[in-house]
Amino acid sequence: MGDAIVGVVANPLSGRDIRRLVTQASVFPTAEKANMIQRMLTAFGAVGVQRVLLSTDLGGISAAVYRAIQRHRPQKPQNRQDARWPEVDFLDGQPIRQTAQDTVGAVGRMVTAGARVIVCLGGDGTARVAASAAGDVPLLALSTGTNNVFPAVREATIAGLAAGLVATGAMPPGGATTRAKLLEVRVGDRTETALVDVAVSTQRHVGARAVWDPATVTQLFCAFAEPDAIGLSSVLGQLHPVTRHEPHGVTARLAAGAPRQVLAPIAPGLVVLVGVREIEPMHPGSVHAVDARAGVIAVDGERELTFGPGERPAVRLRADGPRCVDVSAVLAASARLGLLRRAAADPGPAGTDVKGGNT
Amino acid sequence: MTDTEERKAPTGRTPTREHLLDVYRMMRTIREFEERVHAEFATGEIPGFVHLYAGEEASAVGVCSNLDGRDTIASTHRGHGHCIARGVDVVEMMAEIYGRKTGSCHGKGGSMHIADLSKGMLGANGIVGGGPPLICGTALAAKLKGTGGVSVAFFGDGGSNQGTTLESMNLASVWNLPAVFVAENNGYAETTSSAWSVASDNIADRAAGFGMPGVIVDGFDFFAVHEAASEAIARARDGGGPTLIEMKFTRYYGHFEGDQQTYRADEVEHARAELDCLKRFADRVTETGELSRADLRAVDAQVASLIDQAVDEAKAAPLPAEADLLTDVYVRY
Repeated sequence: MGDAIVGVVANPLSGRDIRRLVTQASVFPTAEKANMIQRMLTAFGAVGVQRVLLSTDLGGISAAVYRAIQRHRPQKPQNRQDARWPEVDFLDGQPIRQTAQDTVGAVGRMVTAGARVIVCLGGDGTARVAASAAGDVPLLALSTGTNNVFPAVREATIAGLAAGLVATGAMPPGGATTRAKLLEVRVGDRTETALVDVAVSTQRHVGARAVWDPATVTQLFCAFAEPDAIGLSSVLGQLHPVTRHEPHGVTARLAAGAPRQVLAPIAPGLVVLVGVREIEPMHPGSVHAVDARAGVIAVDGERELTFGPGERPAVRLRADGPRCVDVSAVLAASARLGLLRRAAADPGPAGTDVKGGNT
Repeated sequence: MTDTEERKAPTGRTPTREHLLDVYRMMRTIREFEERVHAEFATGEIPGFVHLYAGEEASAVGVCSNLDGRDTIASTHRGHGHCIARGVDVVEMMAEIYGRKTGSCHGKGGSMHIADLSKGMLGANGIVGGGPPLICGTALAAKLKGTGGVSVAFFGDGGSNQGTTLESMNLASVWNLPAVFVAENNGYAETTSSAWSVASDNIADRAAGFGMPGVIVDGFDFFAVHEAASEAIARARDGGGPTLIEMKFTRYYGHFEGDQQTYRADEVEHARAELDCLKRFADRVTETGELSRADLRAVDAQVASLIDQAVDEAKAAPLPAEADLLTDVYVRY
C-alpha cells in the first residue's frame, strides 16, 4: 500500500453561467469553494490522510487554500483530532487554459500520482469531465454549481471524512463505492459522455452552453430521473422515475403540443410546462438514434456537440460509469465498524506535520 | 459600414443569414483594422499610443449586434473594436488614428478619443473606468425620456477595480437603469495579472454586491456572447435593471504597441490556434451550412480592400492646420 492520497479538483468557473441572468440561479463564491477545501483538509487530517493533491486555477481557489495553509496553526487540545492538515501538493507547472481541459489534466495527474479518491467540486459538468479522466479511482462529487443532480449538496467536512476513510483503507473496499451509469453519445468520430442526461436541442450553436429553454429540446435521454431532481431529468422524474441504482435508464421525445404535459423545474427558478410523448426505457448497451437532422446535443445540461445533416448521432446507456464514493454508506459502515471511535487517551492516527504547499 | 440606425436588432436566438454575414464582416473588419494598425505603427507614422483589440472581437460584436439606434455605448482606451462594432466609419477612424483632419474627431483626438455621438458611441476613453459613469447618464436619460434605449459600458479588468466603475454599478442598480456592464477581462491591466489584482477573482462575482446578475462568458465565442448579451439587453430594455457580464479571453498584442510582454508565456499562440473567435465562428457557420466558405472569403476580400482604402486615404489626408486649433473647443447645446 502506498500513501493515503486524496486528489481534490475544484472548478473556479462553476456556478457562473447564463442561468444567473435568465433565472435566479445562485452564485457560488470562490471563497466558499476554498473554505470547503479547508474543511475537507481538517477531515482528512482527522482520519489520517497523508497527502492531498490540489488542482491549481486562476479563479483564486488554490491561492486562497495556499494562504490558509500558511496561516494554519496546529493546535492540539486533547479533544481535537482535526488540528493537523495533511501535506498539500499543488498541481502547478502546467498552463491553465480556463477550460474543461484543466480539470482533465489535473485529474489525470492525480490518478498517475496514486490518488485513492478524487474529490471534485463543481457542477454536473465538472463531475462529468472529472469522471472521464478518473478511470477506476473512486470519485466523490460535491456540488458547487447551478442545477446539479449528480454531485451531492453535502457538507464538505462529512464528505472529507468519507473520502479519507476510503483513501486510508480504513473502510473496507466493498460497500464504499457504487458504480454509476453513463450515457455515451456518438456523432461521427466524436464521443461525449453524460452522467445524468443527454438532450437534443434544435438550437444551432453551443452559445452560452446551458440549456434553459425547453422549447428547443426534442429528445431526452436519462441515465436516471429522480422525482426531486432539478434540471432536464426532472421532466421524466415526475413521469417515469428511475433511480440511479436501477440498471436501466429512460428516454422520451418532447414536443410542445404532446398530450402528456408536466410541470418541470428545469433550472433553479424556472418551472415550465413540458410536453412529453413516447417514454421508453433505455437498457444497458442498447443504442438509441437521435431523430433530429441537425442541432446541438447537450450533456448534463450543457450544449456540447453540434451535428448536421448526414450525421446520425446515437446515444447508448453504459453500466460502467465512474466509481462513486457513497458517503452515507461509508459513514454508516464506519458507525458499525467503529472507525471513528477512539480510546480516551488515543492521540489519533499518525499524521504528518503541517506543511505548506510546494509552489 | 452598416449604419446602426438602419441595422435591425436580431430577434430570436438564432441569427439570420444576413445577420451572421454582418457579424462576420464586423469581426473581420476589427481584426484587419488592428492587424494593419499594428503593422503601420511599427513604421513610426502613427502618432501617440495605440492599444489593439485583436482577439477580443467577439465581445464588441456579440454585444453591439444586439443594439439599435436608441442605444449608447461607452468604450475604453482599447476602443477601436467597440467603435467599429457600433458602426463608426472605418475610413474616418483610421484618419483619426493618423491625426488627420478628415478623422472622426478632425484629427485632434487620436486612437483613445474616437467618438461618434450620431452612432451612439460616447467615445473611446483614456481614463480607465471612465466609461461606466457616462452610461449611467445616458441610461438615466433613456429611462426618464422613455425611449427604450439601453446603455452599455465596456471596461477592462483594470477598470473593474476603479471606484468609478463600482459606483456606477451601484447607482445603476439603485436607479434600476437600463444598463449593461461588460467587463472585458483579458487577463492583464497593462502588465498586472487580473488573477492577482482582482480580489474577487471573477469580476462577475461583484455583481451580487450590487444586487444585479453577474455572468461569465467565453469571450472568444461570438454565440456565447451574443446569447448572454441578448438576454441582458432585453432585460434592461424591459425595465429589469442592469447586468454585469464578464468576458474571459486574452488580447493578441501587448497593452500598447511596443509592450515587450515579458509578463506572459504562450497564451497568445494558444488562443490564436485554438480559441480564435473568427476561426471558431467560420467553422461553426460553415458546419451548420448557414454560410459558405465562399461567402466568408468574399467578405474577407471586401474588408481587406476597405482597410487598404482607409490607410491610403489617411496617409493622403491633411493634418489639422494651425487655424483649426481653436475650432471645436466649445460646443453650443
